[in-house]
Amino acid sequence: MAKQMLIDATMGRRTPTAPWVPYAGVNGAYLIQEKADRYFQDPALLARGVVEAARTYRADGIPLLFDLSVEAESVGCGLEYWEDNVPSVRTHPCDGQTPEAAGLRLPEKSSGRWPVIFAAAEIAKPRLDEMDCAMLGLVTGPLTLASHLAGVRIFTAVKKDPDFAHAVVRFAGEIGGRAAAFYAEMGCDIIAIVDPVASQIRPETFREFVTPNCAASVRAIHAGGCASSFFICGDCTKVVEEVCSVGTHAFAVDEQMNLNFIRDIARKHGKGFGGNLKLTLALSLGLISPREDALISLAAGGNEGYTFAPG
Amino acid sequence: MSLEALSRLVEEGEAEEAGAAAKTLLSDGQDPLGMIECMTRTMARVGDQFARLEIFLPEIMLAGEALSAVVAEMAPYLEKAGGQRIRGKIVLGVVKGDLHEIGKNIVKLILETNGFQVEDLGYNVDALAFVKAAEAMGADIIGASSLMTTTMPRQKEIIDILKEMGIRDRYKVIIGGAPTSRLWADKIGADLYCPDARSTPDLIAELLK
Repeated sequence: MAKQMLIDATMGRRTPTAPWVPYAGVNGAYLIQEKADRYFQDPALLARGVVEAARTYRADGIPLLFDLSVEAESVGCGLEYWEDNVPSVRTHPCDGQTPEAAGLRLPEKSSGRWPVIFAAAEIAKPRLDEMDCAMLGLVTGPLTLASHLAGVRIFTAVKKDPDFAHAVVRFAGEIGGRAAAFYAEMGCDIIAIVDPVASQIRPETFREFVTPNCAASVRAIHAGGCASSFFICGDCTKVVEEVCSVGTHAFAVDEQMNLNFIRDIARKHGKGFGGNLKLTLALSLGLISPREDALISLAAGGNEGYTFAPG
Repeated sequence: MSLEALSRLVEEGEAEEAGAAAKTLLSDGQDPLGMIECMTRTMARVGDQFARLEIFLPEIMLAGEALSAVVAEMAPYLEKAGGQRIRGKIVLGVVKGDLHEIGKNIVKLILETNGFQVEDLGYNVDALAFVKAAEAMGADIIGASSLMTTTMPRQKEIIDILKEMGIRDRYKVIIGGAPTSRLWADKIGADLYCPDARSTPDLIAELLK
């Protein structure tokens, strides 16, 4: 395991080999034979699952948790917990009103599940350090969090009701800044802004709504001395240049992208890059050979700024 | 006002104007079946633009809302005209544990404008509920969407239940959603993988031949 190598790759630097990050999220619950609903609400279980995932997969870095409902819950969205999946956001307090009109407040360390996550980090961090494994904090990105706050209408509001959309996404960005500061305080080595739905908008919409509302998170991550990344899902071909402009050290994509294309864009912008292992087709379902997929990814990614990881 | 102008309003996602335009056209004697054909071509074009990344989620959602406004105006005229020929009956939903229904809603609209009768089960639908709804409707097809790797196995559960009940041959099971694939459909024994909303009506029509 090699924490520094992962930090170096995230910063876009050359590394002896490509570091490895299995983005084990709810899988941590499976590894310790626990139900997901308990796992996500119990610091001891969460810490045990994260450490077990790092040990099982011999990870160079591991997310403390991969759950994009944390920030939403901490400002008043209702969640539904599942025994075998991450929680889902059920209610949207900004459905039809701005955060201000809904009376929403930025989260404190005592809000929602943040105390659980702080406590889990306190247990997990020294154990991960012993294994020389980086701890990653994942912050919900502004557009995804805005969709939790306002529901799917946020996607039409960016065109039809931009003032409302700005109010919600701006608030989501401020929440992201708080969350990033929390993860830095917990001792995370790398913090990523995770905005899976940001691939689903025009580049100019990305520039208008996503980029400025990542600034608070990026500032908090760098102020905390951490390396930064931006995770995006889906076909991000049209917005990937924008992704390189949000100010993070690195970015990561999912299995839909061509890694050669991503590598070239990342190197042009001096960014670290990662992801893209076939999470669904190879790692989860075994429909194509995980070994061959891994070899192709390693060959394409090389060892300059590349993190070997599922997408 | 013309069908071409209506088509432009739908493509531009102007729901209110599109609904008003459809109302005017229909009261002026426009054949509702002709309007359906026009809307089918329009949504095919919108679907193509989406697939080519020329338009994005906000634009396709707005076009869907505008189409809904037109469909709402057409409904009474279609009933009066004796209804549209039904090409197939479908129960459609997002599987248990998954609340992502934007794609499913777009598929529903496109299927309806293409002459399919759709019963929308919504999201977070239990596997058995798909089967029960299909039985109650006398459906030809069960359509199950999943947007998460962790909920994809629920699509297989529907097929397993049909097998257990000895009624697998009674329904075609079609699947879709971002993480799904033809390989996944083959693995779980689904009859059809739908890669996007645009191609779904033609793929289903072919399947039902």
